[in-house]
Formats: sequence, C-alpha cells, structure tokens
Amino acid sequence: MIQLVFFLALGLGFLGMLIFIMRRGRATPEGGAVALIEARGALDTLQGSLMPPELIGRIFEQQDLEYIEASTPAEVREFFLRERSQIALLWIRQVRTQLVSLRRFYTGRSRYYAQISAGTELSLGLNFLVLLSACRLLEVLVYVRGPFAAPRIVGATITRTAKICDFSAEKLEFLRPENPSEINRDRAGNEAI
Amino acid sequence: MTAKPKRMDVLEAMDDLRLRTLAHMQRPLDRLIYLASTRDYNTGLYYHDGLAARFGEEAACEALAECHNEAMRELVTSSLEGLVGQMEGYMESARTRPTDFLGMWRGLEPYRVAVPVGTDPLAAGFLFSNFRVALAILDARRNVRPGLEPDASPRR
Repeated sequence: MIQLVFFLALGLGFLGMLIFIMRRGRATPEGGAVALIEARGALDTLQGSLMPPELIGRIFEQQDLEYIEASTPAEVREFFLRERSQIALLWIRQVRTQLVSLRRFYTGRSRYYAQISAGTELSLGLNFLVLLSACRLLEVLVYVRGPFAAPRIVGATITRTAKICDFSAEKLEFLRPENPSEINRDRAGNEAI
Repeated sequence: MTAKPKRMDVLEAMDDLRLRTLAHMQRPLDRLIYLASTRDYNTGLYYHDGLAARFGEEAACEALAECHNEAMRELVTSSLEGLVGQMEGYMESARTRPTDFLGMWRGLEPYRVAVPVGTDPLAAGFLFSNFRVALAILDARRNVRPGLEPDASPRR
C-alpha cells in the first residue's frame, strides 16, 4: 500500500513537471510588452497598496476588537466583525489576483526578459503555489472564523509575498528608467525628427 | 492651470497651509473634510485664494492635494477608538443634533466624497468600513443613554 502511494506520488510529480515543461515550451516572445507591463503593474500594486505594514496591521490587529468588546453591545461587535471580514477578504483576493498576474509572467515570459534559470523558475513556481494556497486557506478561515482567526498565516503570507516582490523588483528593474527626463528628451528628439 | 509648479513652492505652500490653517484643526477628520471642501468636484483641482495669491494657483493646488493625502493616511491609520473620538468631536463642532448628524452620515455617507482622488481602493474601503462601525458605536451609545439627548432645536 505504501509503495502504491509512493509510486502514485512520483507519477503525479512527473506529470506536474511535464505540464510545467510543456507550458514553458508554449510561451512565445510575441505580446511580451503587455506581459511585462502587467507584471510591473502587479508588482507596483503589491508593493504600493497591498503590503504597507501600517494598513495591514490596522486590518488584522486585535486592538479594535478589544476596544469593541470592552465598550459596545453584542450587535455592534457582530457588525464590526462582518465589516472587518469583508475588508480582510478584499485584501486577500487582491493579493491573490496580483500574485496570479505575477505568476503568469514567470511561467510564460520571464525567460525572454529576466534571465531566470529553470531551477529558479521551479522554485518560484513552488513559492507561488504555497502562497496562492495560503491565500485560499486564509479566505476560508476568515470566512468561517472571522478576520482575526489566523494572524500567523497572514504574517507568513506577507513575508513570502514581500520576498517574491523583492525578487521580481530586481528582475523587472530594467522597466524603471534611471532618468525619466532623458527618456522624455529622447522622445522629444524623435518627435522632432 | 497647466505649468508644473516648482517643488520648493509646493513645499513652502504646504508649510504655510499647515501653520496658518491646518494647525487649528487638531483632528485628521476635520482636516480631511476641510481639504476635500477646497476641491472642485468637476475638475478635481483644489483652490485656496490666500495660498494661490502667495505661491501661485498650481503650487497651492498641489500643496492642498498633498495635505489632503496626508490627512487621509493619518485617518486610515487611526484606531477605531480614535476615529470614534474624532467623530464625536466633529459632531459636537458641527452644531447639529446628534440624531440628525448620525442619520445624515449613515444615509448620505458624505465621507465617500471626502477622500482624495486616486486613493487606493483597499485603504478607502477600510476607512469607509471604519466610519460605518464608528457610526454604529455612536448610535449604540445614544440608544443606551437617551436621557443625555440635548435639546431639540439646533444650537446657535
């Protein structure tokens, strides 16, 4: 029985790798600009508006709940938990959407622009898988048990997402002009020609 | 309003605004509502005659917009307890009957138009949600203490 499970797991692993390699093979450089812009947009959204520690802290910290529990009736507490759950779910879904956008770039186009080895791509794929699963798990936990149910998973999601963001920022750095005024000058020159 | 103002002018205009006007408003909520009221809803541009006369219209507009964003950030990071306190203070300064004030704020949700343009949807959603909870808390407090209702006519 154990052997059967082992070989099944091995077979599934090979199947997964095969799908991964086939997906790598299908990607073409055409339309790459759109993929790059999408990836940059996803990264900016994650770093700019979805990961600020003050905002995330305010959403998931229990300080507000403690205040509510100490000073308001039960129906206000329920209303607060419903409201906070909706915000927490909004955050989780937005993080998930942006992560899916970033993953699309890595699985489809990254090797043309970002010089990523197959090993790194595989490790990134695994990271994305863990993160997206964590987002799904968080969604369920928040839905069932409220916004303050899983602070550790929130913390781990933030840390892992921040790592992927840092890595992606490095790989997509070439999309940020060092001196935008030079680009504007070049553009003006080209228009004059 | 087309020319881009110099950064120095904007910074000076912001200092001036903070010192002369915003310093009199202790609560970020008051600052947010005041700064939103200086914005033209058709164009999204901010106007302030005194600032414009000193620093130019463009610099004044940018200074008001940046201070508006600042007030928004302060309010978003305020605790719920802090927000309830700010709303209580604002309600008192509005010189309206608390029941009318709470009813209007729940019905019209004026805070929705008080946020700066381009505010991140998550931050805006979080603030709106906190406003709704704060209104529920204030409402619950009033229901608990009906005897504390002030007189029926608006204060003069």
